[in-house]
Amino acid sequence: MEKKRLDDYEPGPLPSPRKMDRFGFLKQENNNPPDGLTKGREERRVRKWRKMIGVGGSDWKHYVRRKPHVVKRRIRKGIPDCLRGLVWQLISGSRDLLLMNPGVYEQLVIYETSASELDIIRDISRTFPSHVFFQQRHGPGQRSLYNVLKAYSVYDRDVGYVQGMGFLAGLLLLYMSEEDAFWLLVALLKGAVHAPMEGLYQVGLPLVQQYLSSFDRLMKEQMPKLGEHFTQEMINPSMYASQWFITVFSYSFPFHLALRIWDVFLYEGVKIVFKVGLALLKYCHDDLVKLPFEKLIHALRNFPEDAMDPDTLLPMAYVIKVSRRLEELKQEYNKDGKLSLPTEIKGTEKQMQ
Amino acid sequence: MARRADEEYDYLFKIVLIGDSGVGKSNLLSRFTRNEFCLESKSTIGVEFATRTLQVEGRTVKAQIWDTAGQERYRAITSAYYRGALGALLVYDVTKPTTFENVSRWLKELRDHADSNIVIMLIGNKTDLKHLRAVAAEDAQGYAEKEGLAFVETSALEATNVDKAFQTILSEIYRIISKKTLSSGESAPPVSVKDGKTIVVGGPEPSTGKTTCCSSS
Repeated sequence: MEKKRLDDYEPGPLPSPRKMDRFGFLKQENNNPPDGLTKGREERRVRKWRKMIGVGGSDWKHYVRRKPHVVKRRIRKGIPDCLRGLVWQLISGSRDLLLMNPGVYEQLVIYETSASELDIIRDISRTFPSHVFFQQRHGPGQRSLYNVLKAYSVYDRDVGYVQGMGFLAGLLLLYMSEEDAFWLLVALLKGAVHAPMEGLYQVGLPLVQQYLSSFDRLMKEQMPKLGEHFTQEMINPSMYASQWFITVFSYSFPFHLALRIWDVFLYEGVKIVFKVGLALLKYCHDDLVKLPFEKLIHALRNFPEDAMDPDTLLPMAYVIKVSRRLEELKQEYNKDGKLSLPTEIKGTEKQMQ
Repeated sequence: MARRADEEYDYLFKIVLIGDSGVGKSNLLSRFTRNEFCLESKSTIGVEFATRTLQVEGRTVKAQIWDTAGQERYRAITSAYYRGALGALLVYDVTKPTTFENVSRWLKELRDHADSNIVIMLIGNKTDLKHLRAVAAEDAQGYAEKEGLAFVETSALEATNVDKAFQTILSEIYRIISKKTLSSGESAPPVSVKDGKTIVVGGPEPSTGKTTCCSSS
């Protein structure tokens, strides 16, 4: 049955023997991430990590309780790629959800139907289309992506499926099984460890609006000159930062950078998205203040390659302090900020199909 | 503020691209502004933006086009971009009847959020998929006439009628603008780059921010 539905796909390109980068993305741009650490150093790092998490993650909780700062520091340096999937599940709380809910995922995938099925199918081939795992029509990648998204749309019918969720699920599927990816999605959206993300996708996209408003304020406070310039040129964060929040930088940023951001995001929460966003603007500040509207829009979607180097950008992001101010801005926003928003965000959505 | 030669234009027209998800809005935009078509395109999250400057009725017109995410829920973000738009290209997919049936909802959306005199053009895209066609051109034509919309069928993939669609809507906007100018008794065109007093009609524009009629902030 599912197979038949998948036949509705628009004809996609056949996979061709093109060159891939080390993450499985077909090389087309000058997207050539550095190959990371030297082999010796990488091995030592992996050994350290293995010791920290124990067999299958058995020592993890103990270690985090004893040495939270060591964990934080190591995560900020990047989780070894071979352990990423496991560690992500440990730090996000999704492993616990999985163990507490045996058989639930299977139930959602096989026995339930979702009102969003057609919407999901339409976007499957438009999610990481240049990755070898997702490229093949009806291939294992596309099928897994469909299953996870469908399962989530049943699991939370109010949220259902919203464009952008596919990039989250797709990124996770490159590092773990369908069922694991599903529970990690649940952990994130329902807030197992950090603030729930579901508001990014609910009717009216309330959390997107809140985050954009906070980002605007932070940016103007920390970079008054650039803030003034953006105001004059009528640039606002919805023009460039919506996708930063909705997909946690997985939509259009270099994959090796997105992974490093996700390492920190899963351990420390959404504030890293604000920090990275602010760091990007800081890094390009002197260029951005000179640009007129259209060039600004372009620049804010095409940051230079040196700005996207994780080892340059992330240290800049880590030193930006946002936690306290974010909390204040959130209070303020919930009190009165919403009223002054220009967009209509009331829940008037009707089902179109 | 003096403009460099490559940025000179007589008019700046803001246009929005709307319609259901997956009908080909982003590829229409890339075909028009960069003459590109991407088979492996990602779904649009939020809004995208591109411009192209071209000649319309002997004037240099810069089209500033906002491409929006089609999924209904994104209207919380995208509807802010309707304001100040002088034109809207409302796109459906000729192989998907529901995308045509939803056109009336998009029209309502425009009436609720856009300026009342916005020029709307209905576009049936993907005519290259001949064997899959499910919406007859006559039906769409009839509907467009009834609603007072311009209409054309396009193929972004084969680059059929894409320029024509944009040309048509820009000409129509130009006609309305110049009529307005006449009726307001001005003899000169409302915009003159050489005088350095660009009147921006619709949409954020940098150097003349204070005179714009709207913003997307």
